[in-house]
Amino acid sequence: MIFDLELMKVGKVYDNGTTAVSEFDLSVSKGEFIAFLGPSGCGKTTTLRMIAGFEGISSGDMMIKGVRMNDVPPERRPTSMIFQSYALFPHMTVRRNVGYGLEVKGLAKAERDAKVDRILSTLGLEDIAERKTDKLSGGQRQRIALARGLVVEPDILLLDEPLGALDANLRKAIQNELKLLQKTLGVTFIFVTHAQSEALALSDRIVVMNQGRVEQISPPHQLYTRPNTPFVAQFIGRNTIFSGEVQKADGENAVVNTPAGALTGRINGAVASKAKVNLVVPAEAIEIHGTSDTDRGRASTEFGGNVIDAKITRSDVVGHLAQLTAALPDGRAISLEAHIDKYRPGAFATGSDVLLSWKPSEATVIPAH
Amino acid sequence: MNASGIKFGLGVYTTLFLVFLYGPLVVLAILSFQTGPEGGPQFPIIEWSTYWYKHLFGLTPPSRIAPLPIDQGLGRSMLLAMMTMVVSTILGVTAAQAFRRRFTGSGVVFYLIVLGMMVPGVLVGLGMALVANTLGIERHWWGTAFVLHVVYTFPFAFLVMLAIFNRFDSSVEEASWSLGVSPARTFRKITFPLIFPGVLSAMLFAFTLSYDEFSRTLFASGRDLTLPLAIYGTFSVEVHPNVFAFGVLTTLFSFALLSVYAVLMGLSVRRAKRIAVQEEA
Repeated sequence: MIFDLELMKVGKVYDNGTTAVSEFDLSVSKGEFIAFLGPSGCGKTTTLRMIAGFEGISSGDMMIKGVRMNDVPPERRPTSMIFQSYALFPHMTVRRNVGYGLEVKGLAKAERDAKVDRILSTLGLEDIAERKTDKLSGGQRQRIALARGLVVEPDILLLDEPLGALDANLRKAIQNELKLLQKTLGVTFIFVTHAQSEALALSDRIVVMNQGRVEQISPPHQLYTRPNTPFVAQFIGRNTIFSGEVQKADGENAVVNTPAGALTGRINGAVASKAKVNLVVPAEAIEIHGTSDTDRGRASTEFGGNVIDAKITRSDVVGHLAQLTAALPDGRAISLEAHIDKYRPGAFATGSDVLLSWKPSEATVIPAH
Repeated sequence: MNASGIKFGLGVYTTLFLVFLYGPLVVLAILSFQTGPEGGPQFPIIEWSTYWYKHLFGLTPPSRIAPLPIDQGLGRSMLLAMMTMVVSTILGVTAAQAFRRRFTGSGVVFYLIVLGMMVPGVLVGLGMALVANTLGIERHWWGTAFVLHVVYTFPFAFLVMLAIFNRFDSSVEEASWSLGVSPARTFRKITFPLIFPGVLSAMLFAFTLSYDEFSRTLFASGRDLTLPLAIYGTFSVEVHPNVFAFGVLTTLFSFALLSVYAVLMGLSVRRAKRIAVQEEA
């Protein structure tokens, strides 16, 4: 099988000796939507720029459709890049901007016009085709940039925080358009972002990066349910992490001795007895109970012993939803959400004692390092 | 002092500054309308006339005052300034483009380039004359002096372009490359139109600096004189108001040049504003 994009132990070391990216491995199939997600300075943009050819590759190999690309200059790679700043040509009309790539390729005018017209109408830009780009809105400019990048029919479209400069509403709208466009055209998209919500909403797979290394490559849902590393557990979603030592591991589940008691979760990765591990509990998995003996007994049976005491320290009820902050016995504060209809009135008053519990299958046990 | 006091003070200061700046020019302009040929370069004006302007173009009856020997010098200086402008601007743009990326020795090269506008002109001129003599090269305004003009004006063009590139969003170029446009074509069709205001400024700098360059040219230009040298030469005999008349005419020419520059700049800046708006949004 030939992948659209393959990164094989790709690394980037700058002239001054700093390592920006190391040992990046990734295979992308045609039509996949991949997001590089991570904090700023994690190497995601550098990797994207290596794929585009704007940065040299220090080590490893990069292939597009099976052809090694390491030494191919950007203008001869089958990639197009979309920039956060749009990078439109300000001295050209919208139509000329979009058609410029085709013009340079030497396409006949009729064919060029046909292609430009098609992409302009796909992105709803026909009405402004003859305008200069200066007076247009951010959303329109980003669409022009997309049209310009897509009209040359790249194998891979590279997007560097393309929605970063747009306001929240517009971002949502263009996000949906982008997803639809990608599905329709079937072009492989590589999308760099530091916004989780974008990555989670758009991509087939997410590459989480930190300090130049790949932490995890997974479909969005799995990042939530099965984080591989402590970084991912902290970075994605709202997880509560209990550190401890494995008391007993039976292959699927592990019981971990933590300061909050013996807690159980599903094993992910190499976890043996006595190993130092983190038990990761997503906020969504946590259920809240009263503290009566019956409640405690039932919770303990139902949730495999995953029961800890907590105290509500803050409670904001908005409609049916209560936004809660609860203090754990070790003093940490965690935030939770609950539907108030399911509880007796006043259950979440500030200062109330509660029990928190979760199913062992919904918590993940990962090595601490 | 209150705010209006400060305002008043600044107003007076600015007025004085402008008087200081343009006073000599105004005196020159007034004296150029002195009657001739008996009127001299001093007040009072005996009678208003355009005699010296006519004298300049050889339209007056012959008198004891020789015509200004500037026609050839003017041509030479114009041509020299043109040549210098073209070469310095090309060098300035390409050198600044090279400096967008750090390269080995870029720091040293930077100072070596800038040195060209720092070193005293008389010394460089003298040095050039000595080198030319030693090597048996004949000194000409279009040879030795031209080289010195380029050495002198190139750093100005270079610094202007460096400032322009500093504010240039290179993702526009990258976008072009990623569309399959070669770097050479990207430079011509994308980069150059966007840096054009800077190129215009660099050209203006190079032209005006070369046009009235004196100290470097003095020793390096050889037998044929450029305009500043020719004018200076007339001072050593006797000063007549025809020099002032010529001064007024060259000043008008400079204003014309500046107006052309302003118009072109206005057009480019409007475009630059559009880029700025694009970046903000």
